Amino acid sequence: MSGAVHLTVDLDRCIGIGQCEMLEPEVFRLDDEDGISRVVDGATLDRARAAEVVERCPSMAISIVEDSPSG
Amino acid sequence: MTGTIVERPDLADPATYDHGIPHAAFRDLRAMPGLVWNPSGPWGSGFWSVTRLDDLVAVSRDPMTYSSELGHIQIYDVDEDVRAVRASMIDLDPPVHTRLRRLISSAFTPRHVQGYVEDIRGRVRSRLDSFVEAGGGDWVSAVAAPIPIGVICDIMGIPEEDHDLMIEMTDHLVEGTSSAELDPGAYGNTRPLRELPFNSPAAHGVEEYARNARRQRLDNPTGDLLSELATAEVDGERLSETEYARFFQLMIFAGNETTRSAMSHLATHLVRHAEQFDRVRSDPTLLDAAVEEVVRHASPILYFRRTATIDTTLAGTDVAAGEKVVMWYASANFDEAHFADPMGFDVGRPKVPGHVAFGGGGAHFCLGASLARMELSALISEVLDRGLRLEPAGDPVLVSSNFVNGVERLEMTVVAGG
Repeated sequence: MSGAVHLTVDLDRCIGIGQCEMLEPEVFRLDDEDGISRVVDGATLDRARAAEVVERCPSMAISIVEDSPSG
Repeated sequence: MTGTIVERPDLADPATYDHGIPHAAFRDLRAMPGLVWNPSGPWGSGFWSVTRLDDLVAVSRDPMTYSSELGHIQIYDVDEDVRAVRASMIDLDPPVHTRLRRLISSAFTPRHVQGYVEDIRGRVRSRLDSFVEAGGGDWVSAVAAPIPIGVICDIMGIPEEDHDLMIEMTDHLVEGTSSAELDPGAYGNTRPLRELPFNSPAAHGVEEYARNARRQRLDNPTGDLLSELATAEVDGERLSETEYARFFQLMIFAGNETTRSAMSHLATHLVRHAEQFDRVRSDPTLLDAAVEEVVRHASPILYFRRTATIDTTLAGTDVAAGEKVVMWYASANFDEAHFADPMGFDVGRPKVPGHVAFGGGGAHFCLGASLARMELSALISEVLDRGLRLEPAGDPVLVSSNFVNGVERLEMTVVAGG
């Protein structure tokens, strides 16, 4: 898992489109109650893939946690 | 720098779209520096045209500067006193928009729409069966129109016997963006047209239907989306009858007219780019890319408008507070800076960066994107499984509108497959 990073979802920006959950079902899960995306506890993604998921969130709600472990 | 002022073409004039998206004009506009000012017309004051993809995305993702709420999301002006009466969540900014959207967003996520796949396939199969049996016909009324209306009505909980009425009324809403005229008193309307979405009496018909649906479901909840919406609360309050009706109208319009356009244009691509679809048949992993390419070319919604909340600068052009800024999806989706050979139909395009037919990102990104993708995917794969080959049997009749890239009629003959 070289270059694995943590991600976070801005709960005010997320409008529950679910693109993230479709791309990375192991990492993102839309909450059954409020429909908003949450990062699964402890889940990480390879940095390049994380960057793609960030880019493809239509509501720009996902970001990489920059102090996440690099390695 | 000030924007470039051009006399032609008037992008607000429905006649500009009589032959489809005016690609040559958009290409010229994209090549001009800054934004281009479209002068005022009978429909209201002038506006800045945003024709390049990067600029469009910048506007789309900045609701603080480019508001959906301040003016109107269509080009024509709406009187201040009726704006709130007409508004649905598509006309609102965060955070109010966000609270409303979350009421129904879960019904349209990729995970959730998986649950509709069998219903969608069933509708696709039965429509294609009838079309093939007849040897062809009008692809729009036989295939492209009934499938999406059937699907969205099923999701909402509208019974089958009312589907044709929904098609009819939403068609009339589109006419509100064209030069066609419907009798102002149609559907029992007694209100001034300026108070109605699309300035159309059909909006009154849709609203009355929605009010009845709400009352019925409050008395007898059925577990459908219309029932959920009737009892859902935002900040501890239920939606008012009017808010409910606006929600209903938005879903029935957006869930139907747009996918219909994409499915209509699909038929033309199946004919013109048969070799691309042969690629998909031999490599089904290209199916998703084919869907995106159909949607990009269709650009079912030509534009949405925003209104500047402050003096700002975009693409080097000064935009004053209160000025209209129009995002032309129908241009950005063919931006040569992003798409190699943009007029070509190519199922091998990279996924990123994508098209903006579902919007340029931000709070108003198409709620039904996953549903639309699934419907198109089901239709394309069913067509390919059957080896269905079509041939045009006449010129397509396009919808006259400055807002949707619709097809009214598209006669096709079945020449192979079934």
